[in-house]
Amino acid sequence: MSIGVASDARGRRERRPLKQLFLIAFAVLLSGCAGVQSALDPAGTEAEAVATLFWVMVAGGTLIWIAVMGGFYYATRIKREPHSERAAGRLILWGGAVFPVVVLTLLLAYGLSLMPKLRPWTAVAEEPALRIEVTGEQFWWRVTYHRAGEDPVVAANEIRLPVGERVVFTLKSADVVHSFWIPSLGGKMDMIPGRDNTLTLEATRTGIYRSPCAEFCGSSHALMVFSTVVMEPDAFDDWLAREARPSPGAKADGLDAFLRNGCQACHAITGTEANGVIGPDLSHVGSRDTLGAGILQNEIDSYVALIRRPDVIKPGIRMPGFHGLPDEEIETIARYLKGLE
Amino acid sequence: MHIRWKHVAIALAILPFAAVFAVWTGLFNVGAASGHWKITDWFLHFAMQSSVRTYALPVEVPEPLPREGLAAAAGHFETGCAVCHSSPDVPRDAWARQMLPEPPALSDVLASDKWTDAELFRIVKHGVRFTGMPAWPTQDRDDEIWAMVAFLREMPDLDAKAYRDLAYGPSSANAVAPAVNDLETLVADCARCHGEDGMGRGDAVPVLAGQQRTYLEESLVAYAANRRESGVMTQAALDADADLFADLAAYYADLPRADMETRTAPGAELVERGRAIAMEGLPDDDIPSCDSCHARLDRNPAYPAIDGQKHHYLQTQLELFAEEKRGGTSLAETMHEFSRHLKPEDIEALAAYYSTLEPQ
Repeated sequence: MSIGVASDARGRRERRPLKQLFLIAFAVLLSGCAGVQSALDPAGTEAEAVATLFWVMVAGGTLIWIAVMGGFYYATRIKREPHSERAAGRLILWGGAVFPVVVLTLLLAYGLSLMPKLRPWTAVAEEPALRIEVTGEQFWWRVTYHRAGEDPVVAANEIRLPVGERVVFTLKSADVVHSFWIPSLGGKMDMIPGRDNTLTLEATRTGIYRSPCAEFCGSSHALMVFSTVVMEPDAFDDWLAREARPSPGAKADGLDAFLRNGCQACHAITGTEANGVIGPDLSHVGSRDTLGAGILQNEIDSYVALIRRPDVIKPGIRMPGFHGLPDEEIETIARYLKGLE
Repeated sequence: MHIRWKHVAIALAILPFAAVFAVWTGLFNVGAASGHWKITDWFLHFAMQSSVRTYALPVEVPEPLPREGLAAAAGHFETGCAVCHSSPDVPRDAWARQMLPEPPALSDVLASDKWTDAELFRIVKHGVRFTGMPAWPTQDRDDEIWAMVAFLREMPDLDAKAYRDLAYGPSSANAVAPAVNDLETLVADCARCHGEDGMGRGDAVPVLAGQQRTYLEESLVAYAANRRESGVMTQAALDADADLFADLAAYYADLPRADMETRTAPGAELVERGRAIAMEGLPDDDIPSCDSCHARLDRNPAYPAIDGQKHHYLQTQLELFAEEKRGGTSLAETMHEFSRHLKPEDIEALAAYYSTLEPQ
């Protein structure tokens, strides 16, 4: 049965299903406005400013659209005789020059007035209480937390923030141009090789948000994502302190397998001799929201798949495949890594 | 009757069918005994020489020709080439003289200036169609083919004893290819290139004494399956009984390491740079520390020992890895990713550093 137009037994056209289809489509479109990756469902001061600007422009645009359509209707349906040259000249002057200049000037002024909120350079002058350095690499994120007066803490592919605290981000790239964007918290900013870009964000609502790489960066660009976890300040402090310490599972069985196959050449695990700096730090990988930079569930099978054939999961990934290892060896390493909480 | 265009056209249309029919009758003699007509013989040689000359134009000849693989090339020549082409030790087999075309006795050909080095390389690497001259078993090992060209240039100056010494090693003169496949005969055959002490004859042949057993066994399997590319070793591995690979690997793994015959010390600066890469890697270039895998005593046994290995051998292997032309054990491909980012000077430094290490 077709959804669009149906006929009943007497052949009368029944329009309701078409209406339902529009409603469903509209609901589907609207659902894109909420959720973990939406600039229209703000959870941060900057995102709120962006959302406000968006709604102001939508409202203004709607009013202008109605005015133009009204003028069109008036000219074609109500007053059909020709206008005088004077009246036409006046319309062009007021409607075509003065009005746009005034509206665009107001919009520009409003937009500029939001800038300090979106790009608060002044706040970055002194060393902030929390600075997070994020480096985009093909195809993952290196994350380093700098708390004033404490040793830096290295992590990867997940960013945790305290709610209600302004955080400064230093954005870098190790290879090509990436773009850093947490839609729920604020606007995007490019990560450019050889340059440190600064961004500040303040989260206003706890939750987990999704952040994709926003600049095409290679074959696995679409598979380069991180989670942003906004926590209560106390919980965040506890978490950061835990993150700085070795995981309770660091010395567990399986470390031997990790080391004898040479994983530490690229990966570091705090509290062990593994100190590689080429790939993501794995010190607490077991407690991350996702695995493989936002693309896999954090479970044993995902580790096994990643170790065995990383290039199948992420084309162009730098990690070589270890499918030559026996299955039980891979599973041992996978269980060990999942235990790093 | 006048011949008109119509008749010509009909004749041309029938011709291919007539030709196929003539061949189908089988009256055309493909036997080798009667030889080619003179004109066919001339034409085939003309085509072959022209083709070799033209395709040799872009070949870059190393200067001087590499001598590190001379012994291995001589051994391989004895195994694969001498039956048809003769050697300073033995004439061509009788059956080889009855091939069509008759394979030339190389000592005579090479004494003249008939072929340039580039042309010899081309012939050895690609073989010659319609003659029975095969291509090199892999197209990925130009280093082996240059070693063979170097040997071919050497051969006219060798007498029978000097040739045997090169092809069989000084102590095992007159050994023959093993008719019986037991470990003892096999080891004697391997010793032709690898030496009775497992230290390898010539810098292109690696030290096997004390190497990881698993690595050796997996490498033999890979050679036989053509997953590790080598014209010389693929032939050797196929000649051997695969059931003996494990014993053979254990034999070489247990051999005590002897002192290296000659070791010219590389420059201290080069070694120092190699040490830095080996221990720390080059993180900015995505190159991890080599020692993470190769220096651990408890490492995966498929990871070979490279400390004290030969400079030339290490350099060749790294270059092959960098070009993704080096397979091997089930984990060999992991090396492709790491060596791809190595610059030629890094490869040289690493080979120099590891060749100076005392084996663990």
